[in-house]
Amino acid sequence: MESNERLSAPLVLEYPFTRTTGPVIGAFMTGLRERIVLGIKRQDGSVLVPPTEYDPETSQPLTEMVEVGQTGEVVTWTWVQEPRDQSPWDSPHALAMIKLDGADTPLLHAVLVDDPTLLNTGDRVRIKWREETEGHIKDIEGFLPIGEEND
Amino acid sequence: MGTGGELAAVVGVGMTKFSATRGDVSMPGLVREAAQRALQDAGMEWDDIDAVVMGKAPDFFEGVMMPEIFLSEALGCVGKPMLRVHTAGSVGGSTALVAASLVHSGVHKRVLTVAWEKQSESNAMWALSLKQPFQVSINAGAGGYFSPIIRQYMEATQAPELIGCMVAFKDRQHALLNPYAHLHQPDLTFDQVVESPMLWEPIRYSETCPSSDGAAAMVIVNEEEANKSTSPAWIHAGAMRSEANNFPGRDEVNPLASRECAADLWRQAGIVDPRKEIDVVEMYVPFSWYEPMWLESLGFCNRGDGWKLVESGATHIDGGDLPVNCSGGVLSSNPIGASGMIRFAEAALQVRGMAGDHQVDGAQKALGHAYGGGAQYFAMWVVGKDKPAA
Repeated sequence: MESNERLSAPLVLEYPFTRTTGPVIGAFMTGLRERIVLGIKRQDGSVLVPPTEYDPETSQPLTEMVEVGQTGEVVTWTWVQEPRDQSPWDSPHALAMIKLDGADTPLLHAVLVDDPTLLNTGDRVRIKWREETEGHIKDIEGFLPIGEEND
Repeated sequence: MGTGGELAAVVGVGMTKFSATRGDVSMPGLVREAAQRALQDAGMEWDDIDAVVMGKAPDFFEGVMMPEIFLSEALGCVGKPMLRVHTAGSVGGSTALVAASLVHSGVHKRVLTVAWEKQSESNAMWALSLKQPFQVSINAGAGGYFSPIIRQYMEATQAPELIGCMVAFKDRQHALLNPYAHLHQPDLTFDQVVESPMLWEPIRYSETCPSSDGAAAMVIVNEEEANKSTSPAWIHAGAMRSEANNFPGRDEVNPLASRECAADLWRQAGIVDPRKEIDVVEMYVPFSWYEPMWLESLGFCNRGDGWKLVESGATHIDGGDLPVNCSGGVLSSNPIGASGMIRFAEAALQVRGMAGDHQVDGAQKALGHAYGGGAQYFAMWVVGKDKPAA
């Protein structure tokens, strides 16, 4: 059989999935809607952002949610010059691990700068919220370098 | 004792309340609830567990790919081996058997096993029947698939039309004795079962299982550990078999894999007459007629006589000599991935004397049974109050 004789057909898998977020992820999402970021405190006092229901090292249940800062530090990053179709951002941006003030773990999000020469590891950044928030990680449009109030 | 190697026993059982929607817990919260209860029953802490074996039905049910990864911290797997088992609807049973094999083999002393489904997060009926391109078979959903097979059974055995309704009514009565059961219908009458809408003739609405959220868990340990327990359920035998789903010539009423799995199980357990030697049965009956069909396939009676056991009341907890699905069975709770493990766990509870209001007095040996796919995966175990004979 020639390869161009192979049968092909579209297969679109689509179901209406729903999700019960539970007490911890639910609170985190509600926080985003209210334009605050919540982490969760571990037994040793350190704070996980994003929060988890169970400690990723000890498996103990975690319950004490704490608000962390809206500013933080770029721990590491990569530059995306030409975002692909499925990318959450259309224009060139950095994808960065950002440790918010008060958090002990970094969160992956975008830093919205036009040019990679404008960004360095260790830079201070702050959250840029969307105008409408709905309880979703994309309520944070991205992060902006502090000092370049270009929004 | 045919399982080979070290003796193994169940020393902890935990289940969640089963319901249409457990909107109060996330997936991690759901599995944690069952696992925590099993540990508590076993008198153990998370650190006491050597390995975790998890099972669930297709990932497409919740739309979470490889949930075993994101559930690892909820199940205390960090720093331990963790395995995920998948054999469709029988997965809860095969998961327990894989966990037991880790103990029989001497690899681990204390294994936690958990199976679950959160059906409220998707559409399990049609997620099972994806319309693949260029597939030769029709996707009719589970009811459409099994109903013609049930008709074939009815015609071959001349079974009276309402046997299925008797099974459904019995299991819903049993469910009233089990606080964890999803369906609690105290006012349901036999006539209401008979008059419920015909979905896929001969299966009526009330003869089908519900769609449930829930999890079940067990702690399985070696002999040394089990000797410390006041109420171990000793594993006497465990067997699994599979066969092709799409072989048009197979016996779908009484699949070869089912018969061979049962024969292997009874041989391992040293059981010659299951009807006499088994005190209580938890078998996988998602559609009512599978009770008489599996009773025959498993060798509890001759072929063609399964429906007579049902009709005689032999399988009812109240007065029956072979009570089947005292928990209410799959017909009363069906978190698919967990359903097989619930059967296995209920069998263990019975021989431990811990089944509460649905306890069969003095149960010594119990069968846990599960099947999956288009009735082509089978998993079974026999557990006993006493250690298996050497």
